[in-house]
Amino acid sequence: MKKEFLPVAVAILAGSFLLVSHASATSATEEYDEDAFGPQDPIIWDEPAKASFDHKIHTDDYGLECDSCHEDVFAMEQGIAPESGNFTMAAMAEGQFCGACHDGDTAFASNTNCIACHAVPEDPIVWTKPVKAVVFYHKAHTEDYGLDCDSCHDEAFAMKAGAAENAPDFTMKALYKGKYCGACHDGETAFASNTLCNTCHIGKKGYDRMMGVEPHAEKKGTHGGH
Amino acid sequence: MNVEELEKEKNEGVNSIPSTERRNFLKMGLAVTGVFLGGTVLSLTSVKTARGGNADSVIPAEGQYPYTKHYGMVMRQNNCIDCEKCLDACRETNHVPLEHDAWRTNIQERLTTVDGVEKREFRPILCNHCNRPPCVRVCPTKATYKDPETGIVVMDYKKCIGCKTCMAACPYNARYFSHDKYAIDKCNFCLDTRLAAGEKDTACAAACPADVRIFGDIKDTSTRIYKLLHEPDKKIWVIRPECGALPNVFYMNA
Repeated sequence: MKKEFLPVAVAILAGSFLLVSHASATSATEEYDEDAFGPQDPIIWDEPAKASFDHKIHTDDYGLECDSCHEDVFAMEQGIAPESGNFTMAAMAEGQFCGACHDGDTAFASNTNCIACHAVPEDPIVWTKPVKAVVFYHKAHTEDYGLDCDSCHDEAFAMKAGAAENAPDFTMKALYKGKYCGACHDGETAFASNTLCNTCHIGKKGYDRMMGVEPHAEKKGTHGGH
Repeated sequence: MNVEELEKEKNEGVNSIPSTERRNFLKMGLAVTGVFLGGTVLSLTSVKTARGGNADSVIPAEGQYPYTKHYGMVMRQNNCIDCEKCLDACRETNHVPLEHDAWRTNIQERLTTVDGVEKREFRPILCNHCNRPPCVRVCPTKATYKDPETGIVVMDYKKCIGCKTCMAACPYNARYFSHDKYAIDKCNFCLDTRLAAGEKDTACAAACPADVRIFGDIKDTSTRIYKLLHEPDKKIWVIRPECGALPNVFYMNA
C-alpha cells in the first residue's frame, strides 16, 4: 500500500512545483518596465506633509509620457520639489507641481479627493498641550462616522501638525464656543465637549502607556545612599 | 411586665442571651469605663466631639464641626483628566521627593471595557484628614495629630520616630517616609506652604485646570465647598466609608 502511494505523492509534488515555476516565469516576462513607466514604487514625500505619488497609475493607466511632467513640472532628480519650500497645496491651486494637471479640468482638482494622495494618519494624534494628553483618531472619524477631510480641514483644524496645539486658544473654553473639536462636539452633531471627558483625555498614565514609558523609570535609584 | 405571660415562655438559659440584651449590656460597660477614664481611651481622637456624618450621610451635620475652621475637599471626579498638574504643583510646593512611593496626592486610574469600548476613570486621592484618623490613634509619640484650629491632620516631624505604624494604619495609604526629614510625611492641605501665607486654596486645587478639586472650610456656609456638599440632588460619596474614619475628602460628579 505504501509503495503505491509514494509515486502518486511524488507526481503531485512535481506537478505543483511545475505550476509554481510556470507562474513565476510568466510574471517575469511581463515585468514592469521602469524606463517606460517610471519607478515602480510610489514616491512618498514626508515634507511638507505626507503624500504619495504612483508613477504607474499616471503612465501605465492614464497613458502619460515622461515629458508630460518632467522636467517642466517636476525635476527628475529626487527631493527637488519638497526642498523648494513651495511644494504646498496653495502652489498647486495656482497651477504649480501636481496642480498643472490637477486643476479640475484635466484631472480632479487639487483641493478635492485629498486621500488620493494623502493617507489618513494611522496613528492617533496625541496632543500634550495645554494638558497631557488628548487623543484623536482619524480613522474613527472618517471610517466609522463617514467624515471627509474637509469636514474639519482647514476650518476647524489646520492640516499642519502641531498648529492647534501651539495656538494659545486651543482650550476647552474655545471648544465650548464652537472652535476646534467644538465645531461638531456641541451636543447635537456629536457629544458635547463638556461631557465624556475621558473619551479623549487619556491622562498622563494613558500617554505613558501609549509611548511605552516605564512607570517610575526616572525615579529609580534616588536613595542609593541610604 | 406581665409575669404570668413570661412564666409560660421556655427558659432559654444563660447561654442564649438575645443579642440586643448583650449589646445593651456591653454599651453600659463601655460607657462606665469611658466615664472613669475621661473618654480618652474610647474616643479615637483627642477631640471628644469629633463627628463626621449622621446615620445616612457621609456629610458632616450642622453643628458637628469640632474645629475652628474645618477644612475639606470636594472632588468633582468625572472632570479629572489625569493631566497631573496637581501632582507637579504639589511636589514643587511641598518639596515631595520624586520617588514613586512618595506622594501627598496622586491620581488613580481605572480602565474598564463596556460593550467593547474602553472606558477610563481617574480619581484624585490625598490624605482624607479624617475626623477619626486611625493614623493619629496609633502614633506612639503623638507626632501626628488633628490641628484643633483647622482640623488638618498634621505632622510634628521632631517627634516622629519613623516607626511607620501610621502608614500601616492609614486606610488611604496617604503617608510616606521622607528620607530628607527622616520622618513620615503627608498632605497637610498646604497648611505651612500656602494657607499660612494667606492663600485660600491648596497647590493642587489652584493648579487644576478642570475645576476638580474644591478646597475650603466646610463649616463656613458662604464657601463653595459648603454649597457643593449641600446640593440636595447630588450624590456624594467618600472612599472606604466602612473603615469609620469619617474622611473630609468628598467625591461627586460634576
